[in-house]
Amino acid sequence: MKKLTIATSVLALGCGTAAIAGGHAEKVAVLETYANIAEANYADSLSAAQNLQAAVNALVASPSAEALEAAKAAWLAARVPYQQSEVFRFGNAIVDDWEGKVNAWPLDEGLIDYVDASYGGPTDENEAAVLNVVANASFTLSGEAVDASTITPALLENTLQEADGVEANVATGYHAVEFLLWGQDLNGHGAGAGNRPWTDYAAGAACTGGNCDRRGEYLKAATDLLVSDLEWIVAQWAEDGEARTTVLADADAGIAAILTGMGSLSYGETAGERMRLGVMLNDPEEEHSCFADNTHNDHFYNGVGIQSVYNGSYTRIDGSVVDGASLSDLVAATDADLDAEMQMKLAAAVLALGKIKTAAEAGFSYDMMLERGNAAGEALIMGGVNGLVDQTRSIERVVAALGTSIEVEGSDSLDNPNAVFE
Amino acid sequence: MREFATAAMVLWASFAWADTPDVTASVTHHVLPGYDLLVQNTQALAATAEQECSASSPDLIQAYHRAFDSWISVSHLRFGPSESEDRAFALAFWPDPRGSTPKALSALIGAQDPAVRVPDAFRTVSVAARGFYALDFLLFDAQFTTDATAYTCALIQAVTTDIAANALAIRDGWLNGYADLMLMPGNDTYRTANEAAKQLFTALVTGLEFTSSMRLGRPLGTFERPRPKRAEARRSGRSLRHVILSLAATRDLALRLSSSDPDIAQAFDTAIMRAERLDDPIFASVSTPQGRLQVEILQQNVDMLRQRLTEQVGPSLGIEAGFNSLDGD
Repeated sequence: MKKLTIATSVLALGCGTAAIAGGHAEKVAVLETYANIAEANYADSLSAAQNLQAAVNALVASPSAEALEAAKAAWLAARVPYQQSEVFRFGNAIVDDWEGKVNAWPLDEGLIDYVDASYGGPTDENEAAVLNVVANASFTLSGEAVDASTITPALLENTLQEADGVEANVATGYHAVEFLLWGQDLNGHGAGAGNRPWTDYAAGAACTGGNCDRRGEYLKAATDLLVSDLEWIVAQWAEDGEARTTVLADADAGIAAILTGMGSLSYGETAGERMRLGVMLNDPEEEHSCFADNTHNDHFYNGVGIQSVYNGSYTRIDGSVVDGASLSDLVAATDADLDAEMQMKLAAAVLALGKIKTAAEAGFSYDMMLERGNAAGEALIMGGVNGLVDQTRSIERVVAALGTSIEVEGSDSLDNPNAVFE
Repeated sequence: MREFATAAMVLWASFAWADTPDVTASVTHHVLPGYDLLVQNTQALAATAEQECSASSPDLIQAYHRAFDSWISVSHLRFGPSESEDRAFALAFWPDPRGSTPKALSALIGAQDPAVRVPDAFRTVSVAARGFYALDFLLFDAQFTTDATAYTCALIQAVTTDIAANALAIRDGWLNGYADLMLMPGNDTYRTANEAAKQLFTALVTGLEFTSSMRLGRPLGTFERPRPKRAEARRSGRSLRHVILSLAATRDLALRLSSSDPDIAQAFDTAIMRAERLDDPIFASVSTPQGRLQVEILQQNVDMLRQRLTEQVGPSLGIEAGFNSLDGD
């Protein structure tokens, strides 16, 4: 038995390297489409974030109800391309390492600004849960004094983000900006998003919530940082960028990266962490965009992004299309039935996620769906979850059919095995 | 190029068929007996709680430990009936990074929520207020044991009844169809025996990952910031016990899937022996350099095991792990 195992191991290794379906040139063409879509998708995210930046600057310069609404509208628009780009996150280490700066979630928002008394105080898990940087120009963090008299991108990025080693201390990115624009959603399972008054940014006596100038400073710093972080990732996917060259360096590893991104986002991340957990906890704070009530769009555009990558066709925010040789072509050449199954599952998941979006936009918001005993809401959300889980099974079949091997996200400890302890 | 690839694919496929591990033995000797024991011990727990609902009752505490032990021994089997209707989550909501369990329990008690009187109503309650980890609070945390009222008693009974019902539903799901899906592949869930084997292998590897990154990794935190309070079920002193029980259960499955590979048995035995030698039931010592080192070494043992399984055993059997719920952040 032992001998057999050794012999077949070698065989498996031989197959693993030589047997991956499709020729090298076909795979490189698929990877080029993939990298082109990534570049276009992040470029769209950047240009939408620059619109947000202009709206935020206008709000801080001359606060008004209209200026706040314009900034909120720009934030919502900025999420459309970004959520589609999440399919590039898992599988591309460079994206995954960077992603926490722009889309970390969930957050203990009391770190940033004032919160309602019902939010509670510091917890076992997070001593900085109600630090309130907007109200405090200096404070102690992990035993060290911090000078926050000026709120800068550097302060957010280097000192506050994941402060005290706690992931819920999210000081940067879309969700920090979202909180500063909308405020806490205190409606529980009732209709309505966060309702921060525009006067939270007003000057002088009109200021509500205290420290309006510092709040504006924080909002500007967080938005500027978001734009510069997106500029960085766009460059990584450009002609000689590191993300693009890494994906193209090894065709088989590149194909595996595409599939890893599709499967991990479908299953562990969106279906599990973001959707199913909220249903099981009946907790409106488990919404991905809990301040803006935009969760239905977050999930929907995740699904669209996964589908775009497989089909090798991305529709940009100006309506133009980036397309080319696709993973679908590669699978069809090996197993046409499996390609049809994969396309059908992806379409079914997008449709199921679309039903959540449709209901939410018609007034049945995501936090209402999460309410205990709300069977219709649970059925809608679980429809999306099941669609994503179902497509993951087909993604695994594609992995097997292409003879490729996925690198599943592991823990840091496994990534850096320490031989000393063997 | 294409032709060559096709030829090699056929070779690969036939080889995989020849060596697909014994799914039948895993299902009949690992999965089903594990769930039988869970059903038996959770029914005993619910029956005991009907008689004795005080946290100071030795019978109740003993029944809690027995039932929890049998859950940990199947806790790696996160697919099929355990995932239907969120049963496994309702039995075991942990880790709980936002403190949802004490919050949800306090909310029920504060509102004197009548859901505790009707099992069907209790099934709609947040999973954070249900299952074994809720009992860890209700039976062992002073916030709930001090001045316990008749409502707390009813809540403990509702939780244990719900646990028993979920355990039964999972076991019945296996007996009434799911086992056949695995034993007689060629259905839409498992098209081939290889897909069924892959599911079991994924459960095995994910179980080890959970032990490493959650059961050990959460209390370890970082060297600068150890987090002993994050240890699993620390209130009832079960943290290390879960590591040992889970290693023993995954050892059984690993040996069935690997035709009793002696190297794998040896690697499990090393990890289990190291865990048994740790004199630190709730990993309180992770705050001291020496204590921390011991827990880190144990974690390394578990990681090596997982690595050996994914890099050597899986490929040699023609299977590799699929996506799991721990992918993502």
